[in-house]
Amino acid sequence: MLKVKQVDKKFIRITKNGKKEEFYADKNINIEAKPGEIIGILGPNGAGKTTLLRIIAGILEPTNGTVEFDGLNYKENEIEIKKNIAYLSGNTKIYNSLSPYELLKMCCEFYQVNENEIENRIKEVAKVLEMEKFLYNKIEKLSTGQTQRVNIARCLVHNPNYYIFDEATSGLDIISSQIILDFIKQEKQKGKTILYSTHYMEEAENICDKVVMINKGKIIKQATAEEIKKETKTTNLRDAFFSLIGSGTDEK
Amino acid sequence: MKSNLYLVFKKEIREMFRDKKSLAMMLIIPFMIPLLVLGMSALFETQMHKDISQYNTIGINYEPTQIEKEIIEKYNINYVYDTKEQLEKKYKNNEINLYITKENNNYTINGVDNEITTLSAALAQNYLTTYKQYLQTEYLTNNQINSSDVINIITINQNITQEQNFFVNYMTVYAFLFIMMAITVSSTYPATDTTAGEKERGTLETLLTFPIKSKDIIIGKFLSVTISSIITGLISLILTIISLFIAKDMFSIYEDANIILSTSSIIYAIITIIAYSFLISGLCIAIASKSKSFKEAQSALTPLTFISLFPSLIAFMVNLDTNIIYALIPFLNYTMIFSDIVNENISILNIALMLLSTITIIIVVLKIIIKQYKSETVLFSN
Repeated sequence: MLKVKQVDKKFIRITKNGKKEEFYADKNINIEAKPGEIIGILGPNGAGKTTLLRIIAGILEPTNGTVEFDGLNYKENEIEIKKNIAYLSGNTKIYNSLSPYELLKMCCEFYQVNENEIENRIKEVAKVLEMEKFLYNKIEKLSTGQTQRVNIARCLVHNPNYYIFDEATSGLDIISSQIILDFIKQEKQKGKTILYSTHYMEEAENICDKVVMINKGKIIKQATAEEIKKETKTTNLRDAFFSLIGSGTDEK
Repeated sequence: MKSNLYLVFKKEIREMFRDKKSLAMMLIIPFMIPLLVLGMSALFETQMHKDISQYNTIGINYEPTQIEKEIIEKYNINYVYDTKEQLEKKYKNNEINLYITKENNNYTINGVDNEITTLSAALAQNYLTTYKQYLQTEYLTNNQINSSDVINIITINQNITQEQNFFVNYMTVYAFLFIMMAITVSSTYPATDTTAGEKERGTLETLLTFPIKSKDIIIGKFLSVTISSIITGLISLILTIISLFIAKDMFSIYEDANIILSTSSIIYAIITIIAYSFLISGLCIAIASKSKSFKEAQSALTPLTFISLFPSLIAFMVNLDTNIIYALIPFLNYTMIFSDIVNENISILNIALMLLSTITIIIVVLKIIIKQYKSETVLFSN
């Protein structure tokens, strides 16, 4: 189980006058995600979604609060936690000079997948994501969609329990986006926990069990899509979001 | 299970050997050394062995006697007889290399100090000294005095052991300095590429999500850059030895010079190259990993190239001898030990101290960098 407890993240920015100013990218964030749940993190650009997911993935340290995976926290169990999570963002880049096969093998080794299982694991992942045709080509020669599939494959190859996807479908064509969405649904069936950030509200509505709406670094609503729509008396999450901003709802 | 340090090292080495720029820096830079060695040897050769026709045209404003003509001919001087004013003009027009004016018994050698004039003046001096000796001998003989009793009243002998040919010593020491230069220059690119370059390409974020400790990332990157530097250093050493052999065959300045390094000298040279590669790679990684971009890393590393050579140049200029203090001073110690290796004057103690100094510096530098290498600082410091 994933528990994000009272997480704050403070940054320093330079103002117009050249002075330094502190600001909170995220403030008092509390989220719980159970096995087999897909949690959608929704919000406009600059809302604090990426910062939050980077904190959950262990790339950023929270200013206050803690992140726990199955009772383990980053301060004491960073390596153990990282072995069990996969992080993918729309900006994530992979090693272009390698082939997908070499990359996946390298990832398996880093995640300490049993050496006897590596070959089978790569074959299995390549089959699921239809990568067999370009498995041995250099990544730099692949299309955007193929590269993103390789990116997903590297998240999948060590069979983690937690997936953290930050705008993973942004900039992708419909087919490539669908592959990612199908993959997320399959992993849910296996009991995996998925945190999924997007600004495509319809996409989230379709696949998420629970939605966390963030605006200006604060959670403004956390519930199922149906509950949010019912509460805001709207028919879709887009309208619900605007309704919540307009009403100034600020769930603590 | 393979250790993460080994896996990071393997990843870095694979990337380095697939990157054309890194390969070029590693393999092509050493090929500059033969050009420098042969070019400098050719320059010394032309300085040492100037053709006499380039400086033997000497003007005189007096009609030489028969005996003077014979001496002039003996010294291969091509004399031009004219008035003082005309000789001045000819000298200015480079028609003559020097001119001698005579008033009564006073001979004056005229010219402006430069390389050609110096050689011409030496020729003129020989001619006038020989002529003076002739006149002294003739005077003494006419006065019935045994001239050899006077002229050879004392005998001067020289018993100075010939040291290693100056040019050979100079060239071999500088050749080792070129090796250090090659290692320094070639280690800056992979160090930049593997740290700031990886950050700029966006793959560092991916690497930092893997279950790897900062220590393994930094040491893995450091070792890969060190391997690249050692390869450059060893290729440079081989090419230096080959080019000195070629130079010995091509240029007479190397006549009778011993440029063959003994096996032990070569082993010590390799040890010094490896130690220097470790130090420079550690410093390059430390500087580049703190940089926000590739460009910033390269700018930050440029002064290191000069700083690494500065103590060496000073050591050559003031002709320092290695001692236990100098053996501990980074950069200075490598050059001085190279100089000792060339002169077959190797001290095991100094080499041990150089290694001790190198290891201490590397440990301190890496510890500082590992402590500061947190994903947030590395990825989002700007």
